[in-house]
Amino acid sequence: MVRGAEWGDSPLLPRPMSYLTAGTTPSILIKLVGEGTTRMARAEPGEPFSLLGPLGNCWRAPTPGRRQLLIAGGVGVAPLLYLARELVRGDKRPICLYGGRSGRDLPLDDDLGEVSELSLSTEDGSRGTRGRVTDLIERVLEDDMEVFTCGPDRMMAAVAAMCTARNVPCEVSLETPMACGYGVCLGCPVPVEGGGYLYACTQGPCVDARRVDWSSADHAPRGAFTAGRRSS
Amino acid sequence: MTSQSVRIGSLELDNPVLTASGTFGYGLEYDDFFDVALLGGICTKGLSLHPRPGNPPERICETPAGMLNAIGLANVGVENFCSEKLPILRERKVTVIANIFASTVDDFVRITERLDGEEGVHAIELNVSCPNVTHGGIEFGRDPKLAAQVTAAVRAATKRPVWVKMSPEAGDIAEVARACESAGADALTAINTIRGMSIDTASMTLRLANRTGGFSGPGLRPIALRIVWDLVEAVSIPVIGIGGIFTARDALEFLLAGASAVQVGTANFSDPCAALKVAEGIREYCVQQELSVSDVIGRARAR
Repeated sequence: MVRGAEWGDSPLLPRPMSYLTAGTTPSILIKLVGEGTTRMARAEPGEPFSLLGPLGNCWRAPTPGRRQLLIAGGVGVAPLLYLARELVRGDKRPICLYGGRSGRDLPLDDDLGEVSELSLSTEDGSRGTRGRVTDLIERVLEDDMEVFTCGPDRMMAAVAAMCTARNVPCEVSLETPMACGYGVCLGCPVPVEGGGYLYACTQGPCVDARRVDWSSADHAPRGAFTAGRRSS
Repeated sequence: MTSQSVRIGSLELDNPVLTASGTFGYGLEYDDFFDVALLGGICTKGLSLHPRPGNPPERICETPAGMLNAIGLANVGVENFCSEKLPILRERKVTVIANIFASTVDDFVRITERLDGEEGVHAIELNVSCPNVTHGGIEFGRDPKLAAQVTAAVRAATKRPVWVKMSPEAGDIAEVARACESAGADALTAINTIRGMSIDTASMTLRLANRTGGFSGPGLRPIALRIVWDLVEAVSIPVIGIGGIFTARDALEFLLAGASAVQVGTANFSDPCAALKVAEGIREYCVQQELSVSDVIGRARAR
């Protein structure tokens, strides 16, 4: 959870962010969606921020005997780039599919290309294959793979459905609004199959895609607290 | 001389800072942050007779100087609380205020009876002011007769101190407060959230699935302070101040207005250690002013 130390009463709450890199000087990737991320983007060097983390769980360990397929949508690339770098350190160079609306929505694509076999897609055709990232999956998905994905809910819902149909394991990194990040505000429920909710902060953000009830993803885009939700 | 202890009726707290129900879980989520026994006490997430899953998303959104929540009283239920959470809190010597919620007087009594048999529950706080559920809650808190009925029924079912959490949406809060006092309440907590709404202009839809949510945070503070001031006048039982307290200075406003203790709520989300920092800040203030906390309480009223 990240918040400017000098923000005062507004924006009031910290923002849930994935680590792009960890260590003593960690980095995060932000997309400008509201007041909080705008303030982050305008921050001057040396401006103090508070960071509460790491919180929640992390990607599960790669399964021996399976090839890793990483599927990123837009700013969801951050935790997948982290994962790809870790996989490469373990001599498991993954395949990556990375999609966005246009070329501008594919930050860090060069970095991702260094640590994976990368294919890009854009809806306007300005980079990579014209279309959605889910179109690329049809071409590369094999039964001996396992999928790790992070992006807009509807993209992850589509990825989850394709993996389930092929009986390929799929892990998603969920993004929801949350106020605290450590299990007390209960503001980050994600509907689960069979009824009820899991909390993305402490029981996620990484979960088996089959646990999630994706039926609400079609009409409930998530992502931002204040101005202009990420439309996806 | 600079003692921090305060009395809420028969209950003595080591310091005047509690955490507010619904913003601090069950007090067991803080192992990585601090020892919650250092607080004056904690108010649990609202407990119902049976576990509740809560409302569908979205449950929260941010607003200027605050936030809206419509959690819908998601909780583990009183039975699970007693068997799984309370033993740990008891062992850690945490002062526990069990916040309870029901949609009928009978259920309020049943929950109370379950808690009454347990060591380590230091007081029971009645949530008669939740704005986010269809039945119960706020209806009890708006109507002096209903509020008194619930208070009297719970009073008769336990020897523990009974606190009643006031809704700011009652037409005449002082009247509800006096009714609760007459019915046997040991203290009042003021205030719960005020219902608000937010619409996303990009998608042209309501931000909360519940349509409305309770507004909390610094924006609520001046309203809460005014209500606490009025209630201290209206009743002779202790009033516990709550509403947008983020710093020791915020808390001191409530104490100076006559609140016998304070609860820190939304601030816990921004900083898990917020309540502890508030308690430390009050202590420093008392040292500077060479006053005990009980000397600070109500001091602004004398001027």
